[in-house]
Amino acid sequence: MKVFVLNCGSSSVKYQLFNMDNESVMAKGLVERIGSDDAVLTHRPEGRQPVKQIGPILDHTTAISKVLAVLTHQEHGVICDVSEIGAVGHRVVHGGEAFTGSVLITDEVKKALRDCIDLAPLHNPPNLTGIAAAEALMPGVPQVAVFDTAFHSTMPRHAFLYPVPYVLYQRHKVRRYGFHGTSHRYVAWRASEILGRPLEDLKIISCHLGNGASIAAIKGGKSIDTSMGFTPLEGLMMGTRSGDVDPGVILFVMDREQLTLVEANAMLNKHSGLIGLSGLSSDMREIEAGMAQGNPRAKDAFDVYEYRIRKYIGAYAAAMDGVDVIIFTAGVGENSPLLRRRVCEGLTFLGVRIDTAKNEVRGKEADISAEGSTVRVLVVPTNEELVIARDTMEIVSSLGAREHVAAEGRV
Amino acid sequence: MEIRKVGIVGAGTMGCGIAESVAEKGYDVILVDRTEELIEEARSRIEMSLNKKLEKWAITEAEKKVTLSRIRPTSQLINITPADLVIEAVIEDPDVKKEIFRTLDNLCADDVVFATNTSTLSITELAAATGRPDKVIGLHFLNPVTRIKLVEIVRGLKTSDETFATASKFVASLDKTGVEVYESPGFVTTRVIVPLLNEAMYALMEGVASAKGIDTAMKLGFDLGKGPLELADRMGLDTVLAFMDRLFRDLGDLKFRPCPLLRKLVRAGHLGVKTGQGFFKYDEEGNLIE
Repeated sequence: MKVFVLNCGSSSVKYQLFNMDNESVMAKGLVERIGSDDAVLTHRPEGRQPVKQIGPILDHTTAISKVLAVLTHQEHGVICDVSEIGAVGHRVVHGGEAFTGSVLITDEVKKALRDCIDLAPLHNPPNLTGIAAAEALMPGVPQVAVFDTAFHSTMPRHAFLYPVPYVLYQRHKVRRYGFHGTSHRYVAWRASEILGRPLEDLKIISCHLGNGASIAAIKGGKSIDTSMGFTPLEGLMMGTRSGDVDPGVILFVMDREQLTLVEANAMLNKHSGLIGLSGLSSDMREIEAGMAQGNPRAKDAFDVYEYRIRKYIGAYAAAMDGVDVIIFTAGVGENSPLLRRRVCEGLTFLGVRIDTAKNEVRGKEADISAEGSTVRVLVVPTNEELVIARDTMEIVSSLGAREHVAAEGRV
Repeated sequence: MEIRKVGIVGAGTMGCGIAESVAEKGYDVILVDRTEELIEEARSRIEMSLNKKLEKWAITEAEKKVTLSRIRPTSQLINITPADLVIEAVIEDPDVKKEIFRTLDNLCADDVVFATNTSTLSITELAAATGRPDKVIGLHFLNPVTRIKLVEIVRGLKTSDETFATASKFVASLDKTGVEVYESPGFVTTRVIVPLLNEAMYALMEGVASAKGIDTAMKLGFDLGKGPLELADRMGLDTVLAFMDRLFRDLGDLKFRPCPLLRKLVRAGHLGVKTGQGFFKYDEEGNLIE
């Protein structure tokens, strides 16, 4: 079966087409600047030259129809006809408390997703738009939603409740949800494959360090805690997001600087983190370069970033009463040997020892633990799209099987 | 009709504020004024406003660039033809506005909606200058446009339901709240606030309390952001006087009689924040000097 994976943002669509017979990527690409006269579609058919198209694309439906056109294009295409696509998998940011796993999209599911809009006002609306567009363009093709929050739905109450008036949980569903679930789930599964040990036996701490960053405590294959919370602002320091700060600071600054809610929100989400502390860049590569040139604020930014990861690892080792595996993934996690080394150097009390030569790896799967390390340290490039494709495939196949049984039953 | 390009005629305080608010929401803006100098001034005014937001962390450098790139300033009214909606924000002179609407009527496609940002003039009268009175509506943005969430959506006598629906949808897309208003002098906002400001001035003139006392009493007593005298200073005392005069003339009711103290201050050139002095004193950035 061929599965089409879509990740719709407010003005962008990322896509991958999988051949699930061998889990290979047939093509992937990206549409940017949707809503403008100079939108850009970049299409990368596997093993061939990428194609770029620039032109007006005013909405997601047009964007996805252009993607389908290029997928079936005589020269750049990888399939002959859209009907070859057996199912569509959507990345959906927030599933609220309603969704604890991936689901087939039905009218009820769409209604429940609309109910979650308050929880993810920036992300869920474009996800819903993408679903509507795909339904319009591929009528009858089953669609599946895979949630960023779902993997963390196994967190116990003591991990997801905030110590604020309980009525806020009842009234507004204020609690920890966690994000990057698809990524944490994928790398945890890969870790068990690499180590040849069942997930059920492992205590894993996975560090997803990209533009957004989060860390998860995964015990027996289940997320029991994660650093992002009600919104993706909590937890680790990120490129432009603050992560954990004293809530009193926010109230104080809003008062002193006379900030509105919008301004305070933008300050914490777009002007903090690496860029806020260094004044240099939100990109860890530039922070490392600045640090090498002796820029003191780049060093501050790096030190705070690293220290906070280490603190969380300590906390999650305590949360699980031990740790067997630490995983680094996503942009920074996969590509910064310096950061991994610095984090691990402070974790010797846990039995962490890394091999500095092996640690030089970038963007590839590797076990970077030293001989005798009681904790295995892995670099695992994440692959959220593959998880979405697999979930989609699984749900759609069981659907087919059920219909088959039902049909036989009638005879 | 789907609105993507918005034409704005008049690049003064209101025109620039509207241009910035509209461009920030992803619309392309064609901003027109009469001369290259005025256009250049508008460009730097909008940039300064965005810089202020940048300082307050409300936007990023990239967002500032994107917003600026969406605004196309021009001194040629002919360049407005691609607009799907035109908002007129020139001076409050009925003859000037009518002349502009007559020209726009010839330039723009028949289905383009015309909005006027007038706060006092008759929409019905302006609409009569065009061949499309059903497509003319009032969009009364308040100053400072980028901060005030309200837009009065004013129906003239012939404004169609379809035009009203288009305007409402547009206002909502700016993250602003629209209130439906039927044409009447001063609409809701001006009609209700101006007599309140005027009454505060009477209270001051009669020695009921000091200016600071009046403002503090009203601010704390009714949970207002600003007291009435400071608010009058910020609106401009000449503007407040013009509103009062107009309401008095149009409605003929004594409750709209301008306070003599207001007239006296305007004659003295104490116009409020813009001259540094009104009921209170202000520095160059418009901050109240205690």
